[in-house]
Amino acid sequence: MVIDRVKVISDLSQLTVSGNSDGLIPSYGVLLQQLPASFWNTFSERMLQAATGDLRQAAEVLLENAAAECGYHTGHGIVNSKEFEAVVAPMIDSHPEDMLHGLYCVFSSWGWADASIVDLDPGHRMVVHARDYYEADILSASAPCAFMIRGVSRAFMDLAYGAPYPDGLGRYKCTQTMGIEVGDPHGEFVVTPL
Amino acid sequence: METTTTPIWTSAGATIRYTPEHRFDSETMRHFVNDVPTVLHCHHYATLFTQLATDAEQLGGPAHLVEAAAEAFYRVLSEYLESHEVHERADRIAVVEQYFAFAGLGTIRFEIGPRTASMVLPHSHIDEGWIERWGVRDKRVNYIGEGYVKAAIAAVLDLADWHHVAVEETASIVCGASASTFVASLEWQEGRDGN
Repeated sequence: MVIDRVKVISDLSQLTVSGNSDGLIPSYGVLLQQLPASFWNTFSERMLQAATGDLRQAAEVLLENAAAECGYHTGHGIVNSKEFEAVVAPMIDSHPEDMLHGLYCVFSSWGWADASIVDLDPGHRMVVHARDYYEADILSASAPCAFMIRGVSRAFMDLAYGAPYPDGLGRYKCTQTMGIEVGDPHGEFVVTPL
Repeated sequence: METTTTPIWTSAGATIRYTPEHRFDSETMRHFVNDVPTVLHCHHYATLFTQLATDAEQLGGPAHLVEAAAEAFYRVLSEYLESHEVHERADRIAVVEQYFAFAGLGTIRFEIGPRTASMVLPHSHIDEGWIERWGVRDKRVNYIGEGYVKAAIAAVLDLADWHHVAVEETASIVCGASASTFVASLEWQEGRDGN
């Protein structure tokens, strides 16, 4: 069975999320929060504007690393969650490839991006297209700057093909070859081994 | 001899409930809460952004984090209070307290006076997320919370600008305190509604 993207996104995007009596959202093995997208974009934009020369590259690496850590730990929580087990697991035939496709459905249902895998050479290369994503709202971009999708994408490859959790992060890199924020029709992200 | 009492405004007596209206746009895969694009992220992401800010202090990292939070939350809170016609001060404070918890940032209680304010956070996503990831430390980390406090006070008092709300974190869960505390000094002129 192939992953039914429309069904998975439809099922998972309607989940109501709200803080508990402590104002916290413990879920998927992490603490979640739901903040305005503009907050994340504004901070990234200000940091990139402030960092010039070598510092700019360092800032980009750190922004991507934040997303990679997020994608790795939260992704692990997602694939081991009862929601994933109920909605996605019954559709999985080929492991871990179908799990990866399922993760991008969750990725989309969480509001990170309208993203899916368009090419996958298991363990070696993955190409992801994102037709919309909140980082595309960064208006001052002079170069592709979807650090969140970059980091999460390489983390998902680590989850699929890296060492068992929690020791598998860092085997892959992600190159963003296209970006809506620089005028392209969609974002393109190519994940390959380091 | 006539004496005057400095008023302290809290959410006590408020009956209003913050009501998030959630919408998922299946065309763009974006979530909207009360028409504001909103995304879910985890404590790893928030605390690594915070670490990036503190590591880049020479680039103004902490200030950028505070200001990005204040800008985003001021817009969210002000628009909500206006569109839902929340006028009573206790109700306005209740809304900003409830939104903080709804967003997963923890719990916060405001006591606001004419020129000063104090806030107590029994729970803090940033502090508890930091401890979960790295353990306790001797320096504060809740710059997002500081931005929220600036925005919330400005929104409650209907100030046109959050920049004149000076905020200091005086105790931090991440440093071992049982609750985080903030104090604010209010440097505003008259509010838009004459307060």
